[in-house]
Amino acid sequence: MDTTTQIIISGLTLGAMYAISTVSLSLIWGALNVLNMAQGALLTLGGYAAYTASAALGLNAPLAILLTVAAGGLFGVAMYALVVRHMLDREGFEVNVIIATIGIGMVLEAGLQKLYGAYPIRQPLTVEGGFFLGNVYVPYNSVIIVLTSAALMLVLAAVLARTRMGRAIRAISQNRDAARLMGVPVELVYAQVFALAGGLSAASGIMLSTITTLAPTMGYDPMLKAFIICVVAGLGNVMGALYAAFLLGLFESTVQFALGVRFAFISMLVLVIAVLIWRPYGLFGRTRVTKL
Amino acid sequence: MTAPLLQLRDVEAGYGGQRVLRGISFDVPAGQVVTLIGPNGHGKTTLLRCVSGLVRLGAGEILFADEPISGARAHRIVEKGVVHIPQGDLLFTDMSVYDNLMMGAYPKAAYAAAPQRLAEVFSLLPRLQERRSQIVASLSGGERRMLAIGRGLMANGKLLLIDEPSLGLAPLVIDQIYEVIGNLKRHGMAILLVEENASRIIGIADHVHLLDDGKIVWNGTPAEMEENEDILTTYLGG
Repeated sequence: MDTTTQIIISGLTLGAMYAISTVSLSLIWGALNVLNMAQGALLTLGGYAAYTASAALGLNAPLAILLTVAAGGLFGVAMYALVVRHMLDREGFEVNVIIATIGIGMVLEAGLQKLYGAYPIRQPLTVEGGFFLGNVYVPYNSVIIVLTSAALMLVLAAVLARTRMGRAIRAISQNRDAARLMGVPVELVYAQVFALAGGLSAASGIMLSTITTLAPTMGYDPMLKAFIICVVAGLGNVMGALYAAFLLGLFESTVQFALGVRFAFISMLVLVIAVLIWRPYGLFGRTRVTKL
Repeated sequence: MTAPLLQLRDVEAGYGGQRVLRGISFDVPAGQVVTLIGPNGHGKTTLLRCVSGLVRLGAGEILFADEPISGARAHRIVEKGVVHIPQGDLLFTDMSVYDNLMMGAYPKAAYAAAPQRLAEVFSLLPRLQERRSQIVASLSGGERRMLAIGRGLMANGKLLLIDEPSLGLAPLVIDQIYEVIGNLKRHGMAILLVEENASRIIGIADHVHLLDDGKIVWNGTPAEMEENEDILTTYLGG
């Protein structure tokens, strides 16, 4: 019983963290059909920005978090306006954007390493303490991560479902030309998507840095997992990404417990292969729509 | 006499060096239905895409309400009141009927008036109200076409560009669609209508332009078209 509780708690924590990161990837893929390979670096940026705001500038936690999310959003917009925008609609833009965003990620990571050094730093925003659920110790930090993530996802889902901007984002991902004909300024909505994705990634980065430590390469592993989750869910499907993130978080923590930590990543890859053989469009992916 | 609502002046356009339109000029006066007919693949859809800003002009000029709109971004053209209802509907298939209609009201002015427009669209197209929360993928072909028209009406435009409203529909459903278009005309809406099926436009068009190989080769009233043996045999399968 205690083991199961332990697995569920750590699985939910992992899932909550992955969910935000995956949803940011999925938003950009859904709207623009490009992969953002700087996702990992955006997570890292979030972690360090929060560290700077709270440790160096001495701001209180809510303000530090708010500033960090804003910084992530701004970085997202800058990435779109300065780089991605100029590549869209040209031949082979999908690959060009992948390579360009890998470059952005590397520059960002190198910059952070230069500024802060390569040694791991403790995230001062980590919440100490916890409580016992039966015999299982539950850190407050995990509870906060799960709740924050759930709240962010609910807000995002509501924005996508009900607002003018959210509808436009969904419309563009379904049919870009039709969205143009409805009067949607597509470039502006793309910038909004990048702002959302950047802000969410920064939030995810803060969470990540509270359960590991700050290091210039800390974003890699979660980015890879976010890709895996995206593929399992079906690229571009935001709600599917959410379910898949929690499923894979639970899967990872189960494997870590049953077989050992070193098998977790391998078994996730095996799972992806199995899913893709069984359902090439992912678990929640939609089959290609035939257009008249 | 006031200037026509839409004026095309020597419009040329094409895709990657291939010229599709070679000097097209005509007008759409306010409150009239002007029709473009002609064989497939001769530029009718391209012409509408030029007006709505999806295709850039190679030469020439397009004026709407005496203002040049050629070269403007597509969303600016919609804001001015030119609404394109595209061929094959191009609906947002994973969204509900309601969400599709609300997308039609995306421009700020239209969004503010959306509840009122929604009521008007539902009274014109009651079927949409019944299907309001259904996902588009579950609609029939006729319902989708009605939704495409309803979505276009949500923008509260002054000119509708309607591309092949009868395409792929059963004759009975085509009648219903044309009834709706006739209704719009009676309400004073200006319409530029592209239609392959020339017999459909006779009761509704004020003026007909025949587009062949990127040029207007004939124009006149529907009555004149019916009397013209050459046109009937060459283009309309006599």
